[in-house]
Amino acid sequence: MPIVAQNPMARVYSRFMYALCIAFALLIIGVLVLIIGYLVSIGWRSVSVSFFTENPQPYGSGRYPGGMLNGLVGTSVLLAVSGVVGIPIGILAGVYLSEYSANSKLAAPVRFVSDVLAGVPSIVVGILGYELLVVPLGGYNGWAGALALAFIMIPIVTRTTEEMLRLVPKSYREASVALGATKARTILRVVIPAATGGLVTGIMLALARVAGETAPLLFTALGTRLLTVNPNQPFPSLTKQIYNYATGPYKEQKELAWAGILVLISLILVLNVAIRLLSQRRGAR
Amino acid sequence: MTTTDIPVNLTGNPLPAPAARRRSRGQWVDRIVHRLAAGSGVIVLLMMAALVSVLFYAAAPSIKTFGLKFFTETSWRPNALEKIKRTPEGKIIRDADGEAVVDTIPPVFGALPVIYGTAVSSAIALLFAVPMSLGTAMFLIRIAPAKLAGPVSFLVEFLAAIPSIAFGLWGLFVLAPFLQSHVEPSLNAGFGAIPGLRWLHYDGMPTGRDMLAGGLVLGIMVLPIITAVSRDVLRAVPQTQIEGTLALGATWWQSCREMLRYSRSGLFGAVMLGLARAAGETMAVTMVIGNVNQVVASPLAPAQTMASLLANQFAEADGGLHRSALLQVALILLLMSLAFNVVARALVVGKQPTVTQ
Repeated sequence: MPIVAQNPMARVYSRFMYALCIAFALLIIGVLVLIIGYLVSIGWRSVSVSFFTENPQPYGSGRYPGGMLNGLVGTSVLLAVSGVVGIPIGILAGVYLSEYSANSKLAAPVRFVSDVLAGVPSIVVGILGYELLVVPLGGYNGWAGALALAFIMIPIVTRTTEEMLRLVPKSYREASVALGATKARTILRVVIPAATGGLVTGIMLALARVAGETAPLLFTALGTRLLTVNPNQPFPSLTKQIYNYATGPYKEQKELAWAGILVLISLILVLNVAIRLLSQRRGAR
Repeated sequence: MTTTDIPVNLTGNPLPAPAARRRSRGQWVDRIVHRLAAGSGVIVLLMMAALVSVLFYAAAPSIKTFGLKFFTETSWRPNALEKIKRTPEGKIIRDADGEAVVDTIPPVFGALPVIYGTAVSSAIALLFAVPMSLGTAMFLIRIAPAKLAGPVSFLVEFLAAIPSIAFGLWGLFVLAPFLQSHVEPSLNAGFGAIPGLRWLHYDGMPTGRDMLAGGLVLGIMVLPIITAVSRDVLRAVPQTQIEGTLALGATWWQSCREMLRYSRSGLFGAVMLGLARAAGETMAVTMVIGNVNQVVASPLAPAQTMASLLANQFAEADGGLHRSALLQVALILLLMSLAFNVVARALVVGKQPTVTQ
């Protein structure tokens, strides 16, 4: 390493790079503030009571442009179904990696694959959903959308579950086994309760991530203007409704899209702050 | 797993089975939990297998038809073309009845434009995001006091939580008009005027919905992941290493450069993770890149990425070759992002680089 600290230029250069690093950090935060600020300031004007109570109305109808009740309900149902499928599988796979991996040849591949799966582009997951659940069932449907979201959730939940369970001290497990508990009882009554906060964090992280997904729903749930809770048909979602309105021709619909984004980001912000508070409380204990 | 039959199994050594074994309820629960956990692990493996095999199977007709030409063909034409046959002199050839002879040109699909669009927009994204992310990571580790580093990290990571469609909306209604009216006209004039940069000039009015806009939005979107991973990688540089450089009289930046060198493979992994994210990103890019299937050198030209092509055409594609070709694009996208992720994982999780001096 050629060191030329005596060279005054090196000192000036160092000062410059120091300032540049600070500038970059400020710039990133500036970009964040700019984007959020813009979304909030525009979206705020368009949010009204009817956004939450009415369905989208076609151009020209009396109550045009309506709201996004269908999207709110649709996204909630999709999240619920994908959670029911994805969370247990993700947690069990995480338990497997953390608790049963000692003598298992399966653990290393599972860990590797779940790591890599987390990086698969979400649109590809949507296409898999189309091939496996839309073509055979004969049409776009909510199940396909929910399962595509579950597909995205599983690796996230698996990875956080494994990490959180590994934080539980080994002595807890030893104490439980020494008292005569079986391995399953140890996991269910000692290890998982000790890591509950972390597991909830992982679940909420995964929910926050899939709540904002659009690409996997394009060819699975498809979306509809109508309010429905029947997953056998094309199924509405907040994000798809926002996408349709943002890329559509009408000004009023674009305003609704901004309002939708504001509601979506607020939801995700609430989830994120909750995650942060939860993990802090865990740290304090 | 035979060891499940045994109640105490922490050591991994199977205990001798009791002579008269009666399965208690606890043992049944034990087996069920083990089976469920292992089954879920298998499900994770099956998910990956399904992804790769289904895409391969569905893309097979296209792979068979086009072979390697798929990567070099520049047109993407889902409909057959009918063209009137002409002699080399340009005269229309007529058959015995006096009807013009028509050549039917079959549909053709090539992935070069979308691969090019993906590569250029990802490259612009990295050009923008890598210096910013490394600078911010350095800031978090070597400049910011702990009280400041926490909130800054949180804000950067919150950027990662914003849904892609929100970036798309912002890019479409804020960034694109801004680029169109304030940046691109002078940038394009500059490209045209400077001799060496002539090839970057766009012969047309830049619309703000082009590879530059797509690249910038992608750059913003990959900032958090590159920052977070490189922060963790840089944090793993031993304190003695930093102190050593300072003791030798290095300036602040010179010691930072040593840190960057020390952890270069991990940082490369961080960039690969960002690249994987940028290449697979769909909604935001679809909304700002212009969606024109072409290979044009200028970053001010509209383009199409693999993901945006899928988003735009997959739902409308009829069965047969068009859909199969789209699936082949999806397959290429999948394999590419798998490769990036595998390399990144090996570099970030793998062993720390050894000191070279």
